[in-house]
Amino acid sequence: MPHDPIPALDPIPLPAPYWLFKLLLIVTFTLHLLAMNFTVGGMVLALMARWGAARDHANRMFTDIATKLPVLLPATVTLGVAPLLFLQVIYGQFFYTSSVLIAWPWFLVLVLLTIAYYGLYYVSARTHREAGAGRSVLLGSFLLVAFIGFVYSTNLTLSQTPAAWSGKYFAGPAGWNLNLSERTLVPRYLHFFTAAVAVGGLLLMLMAWLKRDADAGYRRALFQYGGKAFEYASMAQFAVGFWFLASLPREFLPLFMGDNALATALLVTGMAAAAAAIVVVARALHGEDYRRTALSATGLTVAAVAAMAILRDILRDEYLKPYFHPERFVVETQWTVLPLFLGLFLGGVALWLVMVMRYPFTGGLNETRDGAK
Amino acid sequence: MNYPVWDVAFGAGLLIALVSVLHVFVSHFAVGGGLFLVVTEHRALRRGDAGVLAWLRKHTRFFVLVTVVYGAISGVGIWFTIALIHPSATSSLIHAYVWGWAIEWVFFFLEIAAALFYMYGWDKLEPRLHLWYGWIYVIAAYASMVIINGIVTFMLTPGKWIETHAFWTGFFNPTYFPSLAVRTAIALALAGIYALLTASRIRDVELKGRMVKWSVAWILPALATLPPSIWWYIRAIPPELWASARGAMPTATRYAGDAAILAAVTFVLALGALVRPARLHLGYAVALLLAALGTMGSFEFVREAVRKPFVIANYMYDNSLYATPSADDQGFSVEAIDEAGVLGTARWVRQAEGAAAGREIFRVECQSCHTIDAYRGLRRLLAARGWERTRLDAMLGSLDLMHNGVMPPFAGTEAERGALGAYLATLYPAAPAEPDGQRLFERNCSVCHEAAPYDRAITAIRSFDAETATERLANLPELFVRMPDLKLSAAERAALVQWVRARFTAAGEQRAALAVRGGN
Repeated sequence: MPHDPIPALDPIPLPAPYWLFKLLLIVTFTLHLLAMNFTVGGMVLALMARWGAARDHANRMFTDIATKLPVLLPATVTLGVAPLLFLQVIYGQFFYTSSVLIAWPWFLVLVLLTIAYYGLYYVSARTHREAGAGRSVLLGSFLLVAFIGFVYSTNLTLSQTPAAWSGKYFAGPAGWNLNLSERTLVPRYLHFFTAAVAVGGLLLMLMAWLKRDADAGYRRALFQYGGKAFEYASMAQFAVGFWFLASLPREFLPLFMGDNALATALLVTGMAAAAAAIVVVARALHGEDYRRTALSATGLTVAAVAAMAILRDILRDEYLKPYFHPERFVVETQWTVLPLFLGLFLGGVALWLVMVMRYPFTGGLNETRDGAK
Repeated sequence: MNYPVWDVAFGAGLLIALVSVLHVFVSHFAVGGGLFLVVTEHRALRRGDAGVLAWLRKHTRFFVLVTVVYGAISGVGIWFTIALIHPSATSSLIHAYVWGWAIEWVFFFLEIAAALFYMYGWDKLEPRLHLWYGWIYVIAAYASMVIINGIVTFMLTPGKWIETHAFWTGFFNPTYFPSLAVRTAIALALAGIYALLTASRIRDVELKGRMVKWSVAWILPALATLPPSIWWYIRAIPPELWASARGAMPTATRYAGDAAILAAVTFVLALGALVRPARLHLGYAVALLLAALGTMGSFEFVREAVRKPFVIANYMYDNSLYATPSADDQGFSVEAIDEAGVLGTARWVRQAEGAAAGREIFRVECQSCHTIDAYRGLRRLLAARGWERTRLDAMLGSLDLMHNGVMPPFAGTEAERGALGAYLATLYPAAPAEPDGQRLFERNCSVCHEAAPYDRAITAIRSFDAETATERLANLPELFVRMPDLKLSAAERAALVQWVRARFTAAGEQRAALAVRGGN
C-alpha cells in the first residue's frame, strides 16, 4: 500500500463549529442509547419472565412489555438517525470506510431490523388475544436485534482502528468482513448488552410506578422483577466493565487513572452513579414507594449513561489521535439555516411533550392498549 | 477513489435502485395517506358514519405497518446504501445539507410519534383530539417531503450552488417547485391506490362501494395533474440533460416511455374500479398498485438516468471524481488524475502492471455503475460491440461523448488507459467480421449517434457523394476533434456509407421525419 488509507477530508467546509456537532452527537447518542436499552432490555426481560424468571404474573408481564416494544423500537430508530447524521459530519472519513469493509452485514442491519420490527407487531397483536403468546417470535426478533447490536459494535470498533483496514479490505472487497480479531469487541458488546438488561429492569420499575390502576400484587411483582434485573445486571456490569477496560490497549489506561482529568472524573462518576443506583434499588426493593425509587434510579442511570457516552467519545478520539485532526476542519457556519434548525428542534421537542401530555395513558408508560381492556 | 469500493457482484447501482424505489413508493404513500385518513375521518365524523370509522381504524393499522415500519426503516436504508456505494457523494450531501437533514429529522421524529398516537388513539381519544394528532402527522409528513425534495432536486439541478455553495441557492433550485408539484400529486394518488387494498376487503357491500369510489376520487384528479406538472418539471431540466430521455440514451428513453405508459395504465385501471365498485377484488387493487409502482420506479429511473454522468450534477461524477478541480479536493478530479494517474491517486488500489492494473482501475473508476457479468455488465456490452483492441482503446478516449454524455471522461494517464483496455479486452473475444454497414453503425457509431435522419453523422455522410464520404471517414478526429480515431478500413468505410445512403433515401427520410415530429 503506497498510499495513506485514511480518506481525505471533504472539501466542503463544516457548516457549523466542530464542538456543536460533537455536542449534538453526544446528546442525541445518549438518548438513542437509553431508547435502545429500553427496547433490548425489555425484550430480554419479557422473554425471561416467560421462562420462569418472574415468579408471578409471567404472562401478564410478557404481554405488558411486548405491547410496548412496537413503540420503543421506532423510538430507538428515530433517535438513532440524528447521531448517525452528526457522526458522518465529523467522523465520515473513518465511519464510511469501516462501513464499506463490513458492507454486507451493515446493509443487512436494515433488512433484519425490518423483520424484527414486524415480529414485534406480530407478538403485540397475538398477546391481545392470548396473554403471553408469541414467545418464539419475540425470541426471533430479539436474536436479530442482538445481532444488529453486534454489527454496530463491529463497525464502530473498526472505524477507530485504521491500521486494520487495508489487510481486511484487500482480503475481501466484497464486504463480508467482520472484526472478530479485535480484542475489545466482545467485552465492548457485552458492556452495552448488560447495560441494556439493567435499563430494561428500570423500564419495569417505571411501569410499576405508572400503572396506578393495576392491582397492588401485580405492581409489586413487576417492581421486584425489574428491580432485581436492574441490580444483577448492574453488578455484572462492574465485572464486564473491568474486562472491557482491561482489553483496551495498554497505552490508553493511564487516561482513566488521572492522566486525563475529565476521563477519570467521568469514569468515577459513572461507576459511582451505578453503585448508588444499586444501593437505592436494593433498599427499596421490598417497599412500596415505586415513584421515588424508579425516579432516583432513572436519574442515576441517565447520569451513568451520559458519562459513559462522553467517555466513549474521549476513547474514540484517543484511538484516532494519529489520524483525526479536528483543528484542520474549515468551518463556514450556515447562519441562514442553523437557527432555523435549532428553533425547529426546540419547537419539535415542545410539541412532542404536548403530544405526550395530551394523551390519556391512564396509568402506564406508553400505556396504549391496556387501559382499553 | 478516496474511499474503498464495495465490490457488489450483481451491481451496486441495482442495489441502490431497489432500495430507493421501494422506499419512495412507500414514503409518498406516507405523505398522502395521512391526509387521506384525516380527511376521511373528518367526513365520517360529520356524517356520523360508524362503518367508515371502523374501516379507517383498520386502514390506519395497515398504514402504520407499511409506512412507520417499512417506510421509516427503508428510509434509513437509503442512507446506509448510498453511504456504502457512494461515500464521497454522501459526504458532500452531508456537508452541504446537514442542517437540512437535521430539520428533516425533527419532522421525521414528530411524524413517527404522531402516527403512533393516532393509531393507538383510535381506542382512547375523543374525536377532536384524535384528529389533532392526525393533523400533526399530516403537516410533519409533508414538511419532511418539502425538505427532502430540496436535496434530491439539488442533485439533479444544483443551479448556481456550483458557484456559491450557498444552502438555499441549491435548495430552491430550478426543479424544486415542479418536482414538489409532481411528488405531491403522486402522494395523493398513492393515498387512494393503497386505500383500495383495504377497501377491497370490506364485507359490507354498500360501504365498500362508497369507499372504493371515495378512494378513486383521490386517484383520478391527482393523476390528472401529473401531465402538466411533469411538463413543468421537464422544462426546468436543462435540455441537454433531458435529451438523454428523448432518444440519445436508450435506457433513459425506454424508462421515460415506460413511465408514460404505466401512468396511463394506472389511470385506466383506477377508472375501471368505478365500473363495479362494490365488487372490487383485492387482485384488481394489487394490479393497480403494481402499475403505480412501475410508474414511480420508471420515473425515478429517468431522473437518475438523465443526471448521468453525475451523482451531483456538474459537481461530482458517478465514480466520485470532482467535475472541476478545487484547492481542497486532494487531487480527486479528472484533470488532476490525468496527470498523477489513478494508481498514483486512489487510496484503495493495489499497484500492478498491464491488465492487472486495468482490473484495479476498473474497480475504482468504473465499478460504481458497471459490473463484469451482471448489472450493466461489461462482458455483455462489449461482446455486443465486438471491438478489437485498437478500437476499444480509441473508444476509451471519448467515453464522455457516449450516449449523450452518459459517462464521465476516462481519468488517468495514457498508460493507464491502455491497461484498462488490456483488461477489458480479456473479457470477450473480438471476432473480425465481414464489413457490414448496419452492423458497423450499431457497433461503433451508435454509442454516440442515432440512426435517425436528423443525426449529425447521418446528415454529414449524406451531404457528400459516396466516394468523398468514404474518404472523409478515414480520419474521424479531423471531422470533429472529439471523435475517436477508429481507424476504419477502406472496405468498412465503404460499407458504412453505402448502408447510410440506402437507409436514408429521400422517401425513408420523409417517413422518419414525420415519425420524429409526431413523437415530439
